Amino acid sequence: MFQNFFNALKNRGVNVSLSEWLTLQQALDEGLCESSLTRFYHVARSILVHSEADFDKYDLAFEDCFKSLKMETEVSAQMLRWLDKPDENAMLHEKDKEYLNSVESFEIDKDDVEKQFKQRLKDQDSEHNGGAYWIGTMGKTSFGNTGGNIGGIRVGGATGYQSAFQVIGARRYRDFRDDRVLTGRQFMTALRRLRQFSTKLDIPKTELDINSTVDRTCNNGGCLEIVMDRPRKNSVKLLLLMDSGGTMIPYCQLLNELFQSVHKSNHYREVKTYYFHNCIYSHVYNTPACENGDWTETEWMFRNLDKDFKVIIVGDAAMAPEELYARDGNYRGPNGGYSGQEWLLRLRRKYRRVVWMNPKMSPTPAPWREAETAIKEIFPMLPLTVAGLNAGMEILMQRQ
Amino acid sequence: MREEFRSTGEYVASEALMGSVNVAIALQKPLLIKGEPGTGKTMLAEAVAKSLGKKLLIWNIKSTTKAQDGLYMYDTIQRLYDGQFGEEGVDDIARYIKLGKLGEAFESEEQVVLLIDEIDKADLEFPNDLLWELDQMEFYIHETKRTVKAKHRPIVIITSNAEKELPDAFLRRCIFHYIEFPDAALMEEIVKVHFPDIEENLLKNAMEVFYWIRGIRDVRKKPSTSELIDWVNALQMGGIPTDTLKEKLPFLGVIVKKDEDLETVKHYV
Ligand SMILES: Nc1ncnc2c1ncn2[C@@H]1O[C@H](COP(=O)(O)OP(=O)(O)OP(=O)(O)O)[C@@H](O)[C@H]1O
Ligand SMILES: [Mg+2]
Repeated sequence: MFQNFFNALKNRGVNVSLSEWLTLQQALDEGLCESSLTRFYHVARSILVHSEADFDKYDLAFEDCFKSLKMETEVSAQMLRWLDKPDENAMLHEKDKEYLNSVESFEIDKDDVEKQFKQRLKDQDSEHNGGAYWIGTMGKTSFGNTGGNIGGIRVGGATGYQSAFQVIGARRYRDFRDDRVLTGRQFMTALRRLRQFSTKLDIPKTELDINSTVDRTCNNGGCLEIVMDRPRKNSVKLLLLMDSGGTMIPYCQLLNELFQSVHKSNHYREVKTYYFHNCIYSHVYNTPACENGDWTETEWMFRNLDKDFKVIIVGDAAMAPEELYARDGNYRGPNGGYSGQEWLLRLRRKYRRVVWMNPKMSPTPAPWREAETAIKEIFPMLPLTVAGLNAGMEILMQRQ
Repeated sequence: MREEFRSTGEYVASEALMGSVNVAIALQKPLLIKGEPGTGKTMLAEAVAKSLGKKLLIWNIKSTTKAQDGLYMYDTIQRLYDGQFGEEGVDDIARYIKLGKLGEAFESEEQVVLLIDEIDKADLEFPNDLLWELDQMEFYIHETKRTVKAKHRPIVIITSNAEKELPDAFLRRCIFHYIEFPDAALMEEIVKVHFPDIEENLLKNAMEVFYWIRGIRDVRKKPSTSELIDWVNALQMGGIPTDTLKEKLPFLGVIVKKDEDLETVKHYV
């Protein structure tokens, strides 16, 4: 059942890691659930779920798994069995490795988890200290009656704990759901990788280093000794080119979020954003509406934004072959004598670092997607996912 | 009048919230509290400290707060001043190290409750910068080569309004509780701990108006518990007749703060 619940959660999209499972097990060990399914529902949720947006998914997973127990209120036997299943834990651990490998390395120290895991298994039969509980010994007795008064805190609500299935049945958390693939935070975190501090560059020391100055001065018997330093500024310049053509409409929100993230993390030396429709030709547009006239000449962009700009192109690369190969204009406007493909090649020659982020990219080579395949030959193309975005940022930061 | 609220000093928690507090204490993990403004997130920490008879330390987070601020500050400027005037002990850097709230909590002789209030106000990476310190309950002062280690693991309560999303690595280490907006029954109890002698009729009518306003879709800033309490207070002091509340909406500005929302509410009357 342990395994079942784990799988049910994953199936419903609640990402649970091993470290949280261990914490849950600790909670069970310490009797925090009191062999009550309802208590278990709350305790497990508080440990495994970290946003109200996932409560609904948790509810569904819980129901998937415990539906058969609906009528029972006591499940002590089952729960106790969970505590004593090193094999299942080991299996789970295997399964989880994959997951652990896929998350950013700083999030979980794998060795650490493994050590903890072994320790837990060793501790399994040693006695567990209930710890300093606040109200009574929660592991053994329940605290206070509903409506009772405990040290200045009143336990409110006429109903007390609602039974788990009462809560689930109501689908109370459905409105909190958040099914977006990528969040603003993930954009911002990824964009933070675009950092290059100019301290490394050859520029004059123009900033007073207060801490070092004071330190040296004090060590110098109070005689002022000034220390200067190079200003620490991010020297990264960013050029964002976004497709806002018809097939991109479903990603509108996503692009907006990317745009917001770029501008919120206002630590770049310069940021420029232009839009295009399917492919880049002689003009790039100033707004997502891509209106004729409200544009900037691509040549101008090449002349004025130097080669050190890091270029992120976002687009689904879904277009008819002639949009990529025809020299005689495209249905949105002039070509300036070059085909779309040639414009893209010029862009690649101009800028040192370019990546193409594709929200709809085929996960495998897809020769039938002619344009996508052709553009992959020109730029490194990555899916617009957390992993893809991070990989893209890495490419942008590579040294020559 | 505010003073009197305090002397009542009561906090109403749902059983589920109490459960989460207990889990966090038993497992020695930080308790992360989220919820709409005014749902009693900050007050929870006060109530927990009070009921446990422990000291409460509050670290208020602002957009400029750095993780380092919670650990310690090296007051170089003071040292410089002292140096200029040939003050004794300038060589002793330890004199210029001031512990932050986290440092204070670690060094305390008794277990304390540490409230990290509105963590989402800070920079995106702020929570990640505290991971190690919150896990290990210690940090290192480079200047004096000293390790500050918690004498007693503080009970850590962290609140967030979710203006920004918090990093995963941080979330994984917390016990999470979302304070749901109180239903009418719970709200009644909350109002009553603030005004034990409230007239039933006033309470009933005020609550009715309150939930009615909250239910209006176009109201941008939904009034919260604290606004209801302030409003009830104003109504009581003003000696307002209670049965015409819904038509007259006296002191509406206490409960609806935005001008555009005032217009909306009046429009619906
Ligand atoms: N459960 C409760 N019991 C008693 N009083 C409450 C409760 N919830 C809210 N209040 C009242 O509402 C006021 C606001 O609560 P508090 O400041 O703790 O809210 P908050 O969630 O921290 O809000 P914010 O997000 O704006 O910081 C409290 O001072 C108290 O008067
Ligand atoms: Mg608060």
